[in-house]
Amino acid sequence: MSIRESEMLVGDVMLSPDRFPVVGQRTLLKEALEEMSRMRIGIACIVGQDQQLLGILTDGDLRRMLLKVQKPFSAFFADDALDHAVTSPLKVLPGDTLLQAVRLMDEKRVWDLPVVGEDGRLLGLLHLHPAVEALLSTDA
Amino acid sequence: MIEIGYGTVSPVRIGEKLPLAFIGGPCAIEGRDHAFRMAEQIGKICRQVGLSWIYKSCYDKDCRSSPDSFHGIGMHEGLRILADIRAEFGIPVTSDFSDPAWGAATGEVCDMVQVPAYLCRQTSMLRVAANTGRPVHLKKGQFMSPWNMKNSVRKLEANGCEQILLTDRGTFFGYNMLVNDMTSLPIMARTGYPVCFDATHSIQLPTSMGNISGGQREFIPCLVRAAAACGINALFMEVHDDPDNAKSDANTVLDIKYLENILIQAKIAHEMRLEILDKLGEDNVHPGK
Repeated sequence: MSIRESEMLVGDVMLSPDRFPVVGQRTLLKEALEEMSRMRIGIACIVGQDQQLLGILTDGDLRRMLLKVQKPFSAFFADDALDHAVTSPLKVLPGDTLLQAVRLMDEKRVWDLPVVGEDGRLLGLLHLHPAVEALLSTDA
Repeated sequence: MIEIGYGTVSPVRIGEKLPLAFIGGPCAIEGRDHAFRMAEQIGKICRQVGLSWIYKSCYDKDCRSSPDSFHGIGMHEGLRILADIRAEFGIPVTSDFSDPAWGAATGEVCDMVQVPAYLCRQTSMLRVAANTGRPVHLKKGQFMSPWNMKNSVRKLEANGCEQILLTDRGTFFGYNMLVNDMTSLPIMARTGYPVCFDATHSIQLPTSMGNISGGQREFIPCLVRAAAACGINALFMEVHDDPDNAKSDANTVLDIKYLENILIQAKIAHEMRLEILDKLGEDNVHPGK
């Protein structure tokens, strides 16, 4: 089967929430960055009660912030991570095809897509590396 | 919004776009007669100006510079006087407490408990303050950044307290000197809790006179106007009828003869700010844009 015919779904490949940074809505920016460093992934998903996805914070967001924010680092670190998050991020459903999701990642130039249920709860993260690996294995 | 006052006293509501509230009284409880006299006189002025208020006076001043300075009337006697003032005048009362062991008794009497600025990050103090079940008046330490007060707020919240008032009382600028950074008010307000400006401690020159603190009280009026224009929910000032002979903070307490004028200014500035925001919209200049 070629990559173009792959029927794999996002839900087959996504990382479960224990394998990428998931932080609460009152997590400080500094704590979120520590979690991203600890898990070696450039995105943190911020969730509210019931695991509703409230926003995402990425390495790219941080880079842009560093060039823009004028306040002292100590104040920046003490902000809530959610203050600096993208609150309407691109996201996919677990039932979406992997091919569609990877095309979306290519089009939007992003490395990660949060995976949410119909009710908005965070279910996982589609990370580019395992997604590509899964598609390439289809081609083998 | 927080509400201060239990039982039979008239509760004072502080926050959001509510009218400005006043917290004041002599720094230390000097005696029953003086405490009652001050409550009566300040209450009369607040009624004339049209401000709701909370009587503040402390039973133990544990942060005196000198061992010879007046330390306070003592917890038991002080709390008895405060209890009698709230019963007599029907107003909420507050005192700070400087030792975790004093917290529970303070909360039994006082409508709000105050955590001193020097102790604002002490976990044991914050735990005890929260456990009183009363609203907590948390003063920003002179050594603290306004954004780091969030950590102290989180400690209170972790112990079940969600009735918090955050106050700026000046920030150390080198030795024996405070400066007033008005940006601390909107920064602390971002916690979601109401904020207060302590005008009389803000003009303090800490321990500038060797073994006691000095103060430049001539700056109280302009700082009050600035804070009210910047955005506060409450104003705090220590008031005395004979500052020269006040037993605590003699160089910073406001002479009561000036109180009415300053409260009128504060009230007008507060109302004008709300009117401006109502007319022109909330502040909308965003960082980096």
